[in-house]
Amino acid sequence: MGEVWRVAISDSFNKFLGKVITFLPNLLAMITILIIGFLIAWIVKKFIFRFLKAIQFDKVSERWGLANVLSKGGLTYSPASLLSRFFYWIIVLITLIMGINALDVPATQNFIAQFFNYLPHLFAAILILIVGYLIALFLGQAALIAAVNAQMESARLLSRVVRWFIIILALTMALYQLGIAERVIIAAFCIIFGGIVLALAIAFGWGGRELAKDFLERFYKRREKEDEGKEDISHI
Amino acid sequence: MEESFLTQLKEIQEADILIGIPSYNNARTIGRVVRAVIAGLAKYFQGSKAVILNSDGGSTDGTPEEVKRVQIEDFKTILTSHPVHPIPKIVTPYHGIPGKGSAFRTIFEAAKLLNPKACAVVDSDLRSIAPEWMELLLRPIYQEGFDYVAPLYGRHKFDGTITNSIVYPLTRALYGKRVRQPIGGDFGFSGKLAEFYLTKDVWETDVARFGIDIWMTTLAIAEGYKVCQSYLGAKIHDAKDPGSDLGPMFTQVVSSVFSLMGNYQYLWKEVRESQPIPTFGFHFEVGLEPISVNVERMIRNFRLGVKDLMEIWRKILLPEMILRLESVGRLPDDSFSFPQDLWARIIYDFAAAYHKGSVHREHLLKSMIPLYLGRVASFVMENQESTAGEVEAKIESLCRVFEEMKPYLIERWEQEK
Repeated sequence: MGEVWRVAISDSFNKFLGKVITFLPNLLAMITILIIGFLIAWIVKKFIFRFLKAIQFDKVSERWGLANVLSKGGLTYSPASLLSRFFYWIIVLITLIMGINALDVPATQNFIAQFFNYLPHLFAAILILIVGYLIALFLGQAALIAAVNAQMESARLLSRVVRWFIIILALTMALYQLGIAERVIIAAFCIIFGGIVLALAIAFGWGGRELAKDFLERFYKRREKEDEGKEDISHI
Repeated sequence: MEESFLTQLKEIQEADILIGIPSYNNARTIGRVVRAVIAGLAKYFQGSKAVILNSDGGSTDGTPEEVKRVQIEDFKTILTSHPVHPIPKIVTPYHGIPGKGSAFRTIFEAAKLLNPKACAVVDSDLRSIAPEWMELLLRPIYQEGFDYVAPLYGRHKFDGTITNSIVYPLTRALYGKRVRQPIGGDFGFSGKLAEFYLTKDVWETDVARFGIDIWMTTLAIAEGYKVCQSYLGAKIHDAKDPGSDLGPMFTQVVSSVFSLMGNYQYLWKEVRESQPIPTFGFHFEVGLEPISVNVERMIRNFRLGVKDLMEIWRKILLPEMILRLESVGRLPDDSFSFPQDLWARIIYDFAAAYHKGSVHREHLLKSMIPLYLGRVASFVMENQESTAGEVEAKIESLCRVFEEMKPYLIERWEQEK
């Protein structure tokens, strides 16, 4: 009986030891990956921060209004610091996943494969949102200035319309890129903008016929009046 | 440079005088300009070999044909003797981005090949040009050893508003030379200076457009060339193209001034006061055509700027300037006034912000237009009943304000680093 117990315990222990011995290199690999990964993340963060400082990224962001948006959102980091931290955490995340992958646990394998397949879409969506937002700010401001110089009373409204149109467009593209309810997103986008155009067409073509007529008459009369009173000074 | 153009220049080999006439759809006036140039050269530079070069921007109204066609049939009507040398005329299209500066570049290239002693450029839409302009623009270079001759005109008191409210006061305060018409459009310059201009790589910037005039003047002053000015009399242009817009003209000129401030900061920071420059020509009063100015529209544009552009201006101007602008915006039309010192501070703040790049440069320049119109409206209202002399005194006082406030510019410029 004692022999049986001894064999059973010894077999069990050997199996455990075997598993530990098989697992140990994976664990060591994970620890190594984590250490190297964190180190790379730290180096990349420093490098990106210095590079962005050298190309005066904070100044450019300030000019484009990104710094203003960040401060409005309560973020105290400078844009260069924020971007370098973003890359730091991306590398840390990748390192963690690679570390888990190194453990060679079957349950995580599928999840990791999916994650890496999805990663490019995530990056593309973030990029679309950032670039879209910057373009929206820039063109919104350009529209505002042009409208003021063209003496349009509703300059600010026009600027907001331009800005929001581009933001919504960027948002739609980002969601499409992430694969979230693609069909719903496209349908919603078409319905919203189709609806706006239809509403304007109905308002001007039927419901607001008199109003539209009155508006156009006043507009042309003002133009004629302005043309009559146009100065002929030479500015240069 | 076109092959046929090069061939023509090589055939001529060299010249004593080169006259450049940039043009674009000026068939209506260019004939008169060419005749005045021929007469002027024949009268004042008889023994000299001269060349007339028309640098055209692709006119479709027959401008180049008009230049080729124009001749003075009977010199007896204007001269006692017939000129010894016939004056060759070259008509060539210019290349590069469309604009006055690109046309000038072609003229400089011709100057480099022909090696003239003196060159002059005159606008092709002038209605008031006289043969005497040739002597006044060329003689200081040809005989007196100057390198650059700026024009001096008799102009309507409300004409040349960018010159009077920005370019003249700013250039004078910065570089210390009182060049009254730094962007006049008609200049004389030496062949040596033309060659120097060609060494600069600016032909893809606003210099290739309306920025060319201030660029030429500033370089001549800043690089130590001998600069003077000549009184030419009245300056009357052909009726303006109604579609021509203030925006591009304003932004191209002001961006050139601000860019040059960056290039020559080592120089202008040391200049403490301005000096008059040698002036040629006989100053006489001229009768000028009345012009209409729509002040209400300018004030309306300024108020719209105060209402909608404050968000941008706040990034450029100090808070106290914003408060003052808001109070100017609240003034009723009949007592509207834009003070000189406020205007000078605004120009200096915009220049510093342009240097720093804190606001996108095109947006910065375009957002200045309502402020400029506000200042012009105020100037017109202040001087409605003033004589030309009184208006000139007001411009002189604005220039003094710019000079007195230069330490403010330096402070803002240094802060913006």
